[in-house]
Amino acid sequence: MPDLSPLYALLGLLPLDCLQPRFMQQALLALLLLTPMAAVLGVQVINFRMAFFSDAIGHSAFAGVALGLMLSVDPRLSMPLFGVLVGLAVMTVRRKSNLSADTAIGIVFSAVVAFGLAVVSRASGVARDMQQFLYGDILTISEGEIVFLGLLFLLTLIFQAVGYNRLLSIALNPVMARVHGVRVALWQYLFAILLALVVMFSVWAVGVLLVTAMLIVPAATARNLARTAGGMFWWALLAGVSSGFAGLALSAQDWLATASGATVILVSCCWFAASCVWTALRGRRRA
Amino acid sequence: MNRSCPPIAKSLSVILTSTEHAAPAIVFEGLSVRRGHTAILADVCATVPRGGSTVLVGPNGAGKTTLLLCLIGEIPYTGRIFAQGRDGSAWPRLGYVPQQLQIDSGLPLLVSEFLSLEHQRRPLWLGLKAGARARARRLLDLVRIGHLQNRRMGDLSGGELRRVLLAAALGHEPELLVLDEAEAGVDFQGERLFWEVLDAARRHYGFTQLMVSHNLPLAAHYATHVICLNKSVRAAGSPRDTLTAANLLDIFGVPIHLYPDQCGGADPACPQCGAWYGPEHLPADQPASPIPARQRDGLTPPRCRECSLHMPEAAPPENIAREKKHA
Repeated sequence: MPDLSPLYALLGLLPLDCLQPRFMQQALLALLLLTPMAAVLGVQVINFRMAFFSDAIGHSAFAGVALGLMLSVDPRLSMPLFGVLVGLAVMTVRRKSNLSADTAIGIVFSAVVAFGLAVVSRASGVARDMQQFLYGDILTISEGEIVFLGLLFLLTLIFQAVGYNRLLSIALNPVMARVHGVRVALWQYLFAILLALVVMFSVWAVGVLLVTAMLIVPAATARNLARTAGGMFWWALLAGVSSGFAGLALSAQDWLATASGATVILVSCCWFAASCVWTALRGRRRA
Repeated sequence: MNRSCPPIAKSLSVILTSTEHAAPAIVFEGLSVRRGHTAILADVCATVPRGGSTVLVGPNGAGKTTLLLCLIGEIPYTGRIFAQGRDGSAWPRLGYVPQQLQIDSGLPLLVSEFLSLEHQRRPLWLGLKAGARARARRLLDLVRIGHLQNRRMGDLSGGELRRVLLAAALGHEPELLVLDEAEAGVDFQGERLFWEVLDAARRHYGFTQLMVSHNLPLAAHYATHVICLNKSVRAAGSPRDTLTAANLLDIFGVPIHLYPDQCGGADPACPQCGAWYGPEHLPADQPASPIPARQRDGLTPPRCRECSLHMPEAAPPENIAREKKHA
């Protein structure tokens, strides 16, 4: 296990009182790793029109936890694994069947949620997990999970460096991309796996109700503000990370004292609103 | 793609490996595609001449796009497709021009970025290399829209977008360029320009071109080879031999005259809507009565079933009438 204390010390240097406790430093570190991943994957989620897809994976977290309880496997293992499976299943259905994508996802979505509820209705004492699943709890994140997030962060970085152009090409026209030598199936499945993992961790942080927002809102903001496809990446990153930081800091203020996950999303929604105003103003100036 | 097909039939391998200029670039042999119980393509046999501009013509649902999808390996089929790359490789380098992109107008993507997507390895978020920029400019100049390189893709007009798609495909230096109704939905001018640019590029680079199009006059003008398709091949050859009134009537069911000198006799079509008035398509109130007989009997001309205009009197063909006057 790598020693993360220098990082915490660095975060402790920030001139904010609320960041002095260790658990706040851990939460901030986790958010600083998670929000950029969610933001840049969100760019592709928007390009692929897959918002509903990520929502379905988020909801499968519940079934993953339930499955873990049933098979007495650590939910922190069963949840991401189950999410990846669901992601691959949906991607396969989307590629192979002639059902429209939202219908296919809607079916998988219902199945996993119903399965989770059915298991929970049998077992008792999972109300606490249910709560965490709905609202998330970034403040209880452990050191081990942060290390895993760090690994995921590296993976995402590599993925974005190699695949950004290719994924955009696939989103524009998959047939054209394939003819021109892009390995469409490979990239689509890799994307589904990575997205599933990131979504599962986002569920941890902000809860299933807000997980789609964490992906979509920064990317949608970026779409409004950016002029180029490269710029969209950076704007999404900026909006995502700044919302994560500001949301956590705000939620810890005595006068606010709100749930951190919800606050993060609210801040990023403010970003989006501002970007809409900016777009409208720019449009008027042009006209 | 049927790349692992059994050894090529001897005659075909001779055709494909011969160095003659006229050797075909692609040979479709007994190609069939079924979806459920419906035959989409049935026993298609056709050749696409190397270096030529081949146009696939046929009504909607005739299987034109399906044939292209078979060629680019997108859907399974029975039968065989033979093709060979220029340098003897197993398959020619392909370029593909789709009809549309799945973008909404708000997507921030510059034309120059789009043209570099499949070319530049460095991710777009680290910026375009100067080389990629210059290459995009060159490609755009080729399709005569060099000034658009910093425009957003969503801000392009339909005609401009089609030419950007063409430029992207040309950027892959294809040996075989496949276009799926790539110019459809563009105004007359735009469509003509598209064909013109395409023709110039083909002559310059010498690639083989296979194109689905609904624009028969432009196909007649620019194509070097035409394949008329309706489930199976109905006619193939030079535009003048294939796009005849009789063939087009057979395929589309409406009289279309591309070549004035091929209009033989009077056309038994409604002058208002062009619906064909042949023995099998008689108006409802005049069953089974050939036109001359009707006139002898002094009946009123029947109404067209499509637009209820009276059908024309069957006058003698104009060219014959003129001859008579001369005599």
